[in-house]
Amino acid sequence: MTSINSSNTQRSTPLLCSEVVKRFGDKTALDRLSLSIPNSGVTAILGANGAGKTTLINCALGLLKPNSGRIRLFGKAPGLAETKQLIGVMLQDTNLPDLLSAREHIELFQSYYRNPLSISQLSELCDLESFIDQRYKKLSGGQKRRVQFALSILGQPKIVFLDEPTTGLDISARKTVWETIRRLSKSGTAVVLTTHYLEEADSLADHTIVMSNGQVIADAPTEQIRASAGGAVIRCSTVLDAQIVASVEHVKSVDHHGKNLEIRSADASKSLKKLFELDPSLSNLTVSKSSLEDAFVELNRNA
Amino acid sequence: MSILAKETGAEILKAVRAPEFILPTIFMPSLFYTIFGVVLNKGGNSAVYLLATYGVFAVMGPAIFGFGTGVASERERGWLELKRALPSPSYSYILAKLLTTLMFTAIALMPIYLIAGFGGNVELARGDWFSLFAIHLCATIPFVLIGVALGFSLNSGGAVALSNIVFLSLAILGGLWFPVFLFPEFMQTLANFMPSFHLAELALSIVDTSKECAIGYHTLTIFVMTLGFLALAIFAWLRQRSL
Repeated sequence: MTSINSSNTQRSTPLLCSEVVKRFGDKTALDRLSLSIPNSGVTAILGANGAGKTTLINCALGLLKPNSGRIRLFGKAPGLAETKQLIGVMLQDTNLPDLLSAREHIELFQSYYRNPLSISQLSELCDLESFIDQRYKKLSGGQKRRVQFALSILGQPKIVFLDEPTTGLDISARKTVWETIRRLSKSGTAVVLTTHYLEEADSLADHTIVMSNGQVIADAPTEQIRASAGGAVIRCSTVLDAQIVASVEHVKSVDHHGKNLEIRSADASKSLKKLFELDPSLSNLTVSKSSLEDAFVELNRNA
Repeated sequence: MSILAKETGAEILKAVRAPEFILPTIFMPSLFYTIFGVVLNKGGNSAVYLLATYGVFAVMGPAIFGFGTGVASERERGWLELKRALPSPSYSYILAKLLTTLMFTAIALMPIYLIAGFGGNVELARGDWFSLFAIHLCATIPFVLIGVALGFSLNSGGAVALSNIVFLSLAILGGLWFPVFLFPEFMQTLANFMPSFHLAELALSIVDTSKECAIGYHTLTIFVMTLGFLALAIFAWLRQRSL
């Protein structure tokens, strides 16, 4: 009975990794990594450069073979033609052939999939209309990403991997890509996103996985990870020494931020009460809710 | 099947949209043939001889450059890596490129045949024209394999440089521009290591029946060489996949 249940869970889990190890020479890129991606919503994989994000994606796509461990996408092994029908991909630093237009790229990709979207559907979803017949070479950075993104969702995948989808884009182009990712996720596709823009994960991700040195150091709903950084960030200028501030009740960490101190506190009002007792001249005060970035800094400090 | 058709269509589009590549590889051999085989022909049988060798020369260009530099640059752009993550079979890309190359080699051969027949007064039986065409077209295969090996082993800059060196060496040392029998002895020995030489000899055996030709020896040698290039191409392909 249990085995039937667990295999059902496996089949409905977009990506399941257990104890995955990948070494390059004597460098361990994935170190007994285990995780599972929930079957809806956007999951962000965060981590500093070299944390193993891209290696993980490449293993899941079947481009790299792990040294040991097990990876399953909807219960299927990576790299099989059957598995590839279920996934969409947008890789980092990939350029499509320059001399074909977006329309020609789309027509070629349509022949790969059993159930492809039509040109008009894609053009509307990804806003390709104005440049669909121009050669890829002539497109701007943002337009190229939109074409790549369109190709990644063309096969109506159940899981889409986006490796650094907005790196190098200007703010407005990034916002357009975000909007499309949100729409895609609403349609029931699981989206896995690696990024080093914390702001991007903060605004898009329902679920966040933080990696460091090839391991998962946090794996939870984004809201929960944000909260784990401590309830709030207090900025103020004070005569108090940072060490004294750090010993105040509920304070989790203290950093210098220009002339001000940046204090992370699990309970801002209690910490503040105490700080005013110690330094009545405390000024330039701002209190803000922790962002994902605060949590990220905190997690990497502890890792 | 529809994947292969679409893929081949895309390859042809890419090729015709890069005229700076396609025009020289198609028209340079027939231009050279016109000059050296017809215009400068001093009444010898150079129009016949060079028809055989320039035909081999004509198929070398699209094969070595199309694959060598084409594959290297698409690999460098991350395009091949992305394709490996897609549900299209990996052979469809190579097969599409091969079909495209065969198409362009056929196009490159036609003006040479026409110039030979009408300008150079080369007279061959109809069956011999077809045999010659078949040999020239088959000659594409070993050069394609050399191109694949180069394209999967080098970055695009290196592939352009080495493709040129290989291309010119095979042309000159294989006796495609000047007959091997005019070479000093050590270069005649060296020619035996060039696939281009054996293919040219096989083509010559059709156009010039007066000449003694060890057909069996050349066929066997080119067959073994092709197997060697195949092994090299597979090795290069597997190696870049595991990087």
